[in-house]
Amino acid sequence: MTHPKRTGARLELKDVTKTYTGHGEDKHVLDRINCIVEPGEFLSIVGPSGVGKTTLLRLLTGLTPVTSGEILLDGKRVTSPPEDLAIVLQEYTRSLMPWLTVEKNIELPLKLKKIAKEERRERVQSAILEVGLEGNDSRYPWQLSGGMQQRVAIARALASRPRILVMDEPFASVDAQTRLDLEDLVLKVRDDFGITTLLVTHDMDEAVYLADRVLVLTGKPAHVAAEIAVPLGYPRDQVDTRAHPDFGHLRGEIYQLIRGKR
Amino acid sequence: MFSLLRRFLISSWLVAALLLFWWKISANSESYFWPPLGQIATQFKTNWLFANVAEDVVPSLKNLAIGYFIGAPCALVVGAHLGLSEIAQRIFSPLVNFFRSIPGVALVPIFIMLFGIGDESRRVSIAVAVFFPTLIATIEAVRTSDAVLLDVSRSFKFSSFQSLWRVRVPSGAPMISSGLQVSLQVGFIVMIVSEMLGAFRGLGAFTVEAQQSFMIIDMWTGIIMLGILGYIFNVIFELIEKRALRWYRGQKGLTT
Repeated sequence: MTHPKRTGARLELKDVTKTYTGHGEDKHVLDRINCIVEPGEFLSIVGPSGVGKTTLLRLLTGLTPVTSGEILLDGKRVTSPPEDLAIVLQEYTRSLMPWLTVEKNIELPLKLKKIAKEERRERVQSAILEVGLEGNDSRYPWQLSGGMQQRVAIARALASRPRILVMDEPFASVDAQTRLDLEDLVLKVRDDFGITTLLVTHDMDEAVYLADRVLVLTGKPAHVAAEIAVPLGYPRDQVDTRAHPDFGHLRGEIYQLIRGKR
Repeated sequence: MFSLLRRFLISSWLVAALLLFWWKISANSESYFWPPLGQIATQFKTNWLFANVAEDVVPSLKNLAIGYFIGAPCALVVGAHLGLSEIAQRIFSPLVNFFRSIPGVALVPIFIMLFGIGDESRRVSIAVAVFFPTLIATIEAVRTSDAVLLDVSRSFKFSSFQSLWRVRVPSGAPMISSGLQVSLQVGFIVMIVSEMLGAFRGLGAFTVEAQQSFMIIDMWTGIIMLGILGYIFNVIFELIEKRALRWYRGQKGLTT
């Protein structure tokens, strides 16, 4: 099937800084993060646990305000969740509505946006096809495996036709085999729609395998340790790409950055 | 089919045994206050199948229905909005806690004073008593919505009205439902007591009048009828809940 190619959004982070104030001492989490993500690009953000990756994700999705600096999506300042952005979170069991079927879960955001019924149905069906959930329309999320639930979350994100997709550790809670399948699904989605894709992960292999570029965060407060281009070419393959000498080299480089700075 | 029969037997043998026991030991009873169950049964048939139903049961149930379907939805709407705002909760919580500490039946005399001894005062009493359990359950349900679900709602740009009624309330439905059930039970109690205090008809009035005029067998039939009605209401409520919250039971892996 063919998809309408959309252009991805351009994301720009300028001196993005976050300090949590409140109980006791201030907590300086992110320090002057700068980064530009080009339309259609796939960027992975890696760093050790607790470094502030999720905080960065919350800032650039507009869920939490920045302390200073600014985030621009297609030149427009992000102050609340932008229209063209969709998110997929790690906790699939908590991010889907357990009282709605797969179909209704995907449809809900469209319904609340008052999109006509005809178009809703069409979008939901094509999203279900895109992520390979055919035949599960009327099942409930809790009747599905973790990997399938995460597919529902991805389908829901796609149905709103985003120009940028942001994912927070989306595959951290699924088993290894499913994880590889979902990684390839995400690559396919990026390919089919040309949307800008951001992936927050602590898994260095995954970061390299999926991305055009990897942003490495380290330190307290976190700053950009390096921006590493991934010249591995497409299509990627779970066996060949991972066996490529450059893959191992990049992985090693990132590993040392993360370990060295801890 | 067989398992259905088994389930019925498991849940009903004790009741049957107790009834039989009551029947046996009261059979030759000469006590004025403990008449033989056989006599009560005969009188029950005369009273409630279905001679007095239109006169004494239907008005009671009508009051309960009106009171419940005014009080509970109001509580749902008010509770949902109170649950959203921490400041509103702080302002209203002393008030809510004060009124909910007063047993619903204690309010009946006030409403009789205000609205007279007609059906209005009973309906108002029921509505007010029904209000609080649902209110408190709804506040808590809305207040404790899952943060991840709310992030998702925000990222999809749901308005606060949409996220209240499309996310917070449905996800809190199991808790709200418990509140609705307690409300129903409280409403039932207030229905009876409100009739015992100065009504001319209704089940509560019938029962207390029978007692005061020493028609002890009639009194017993009234009490048994109340028990049966309360039981039926609970069964109906649970059937509806089971259907409406199928997702919850499924998610929790409950089978019964």
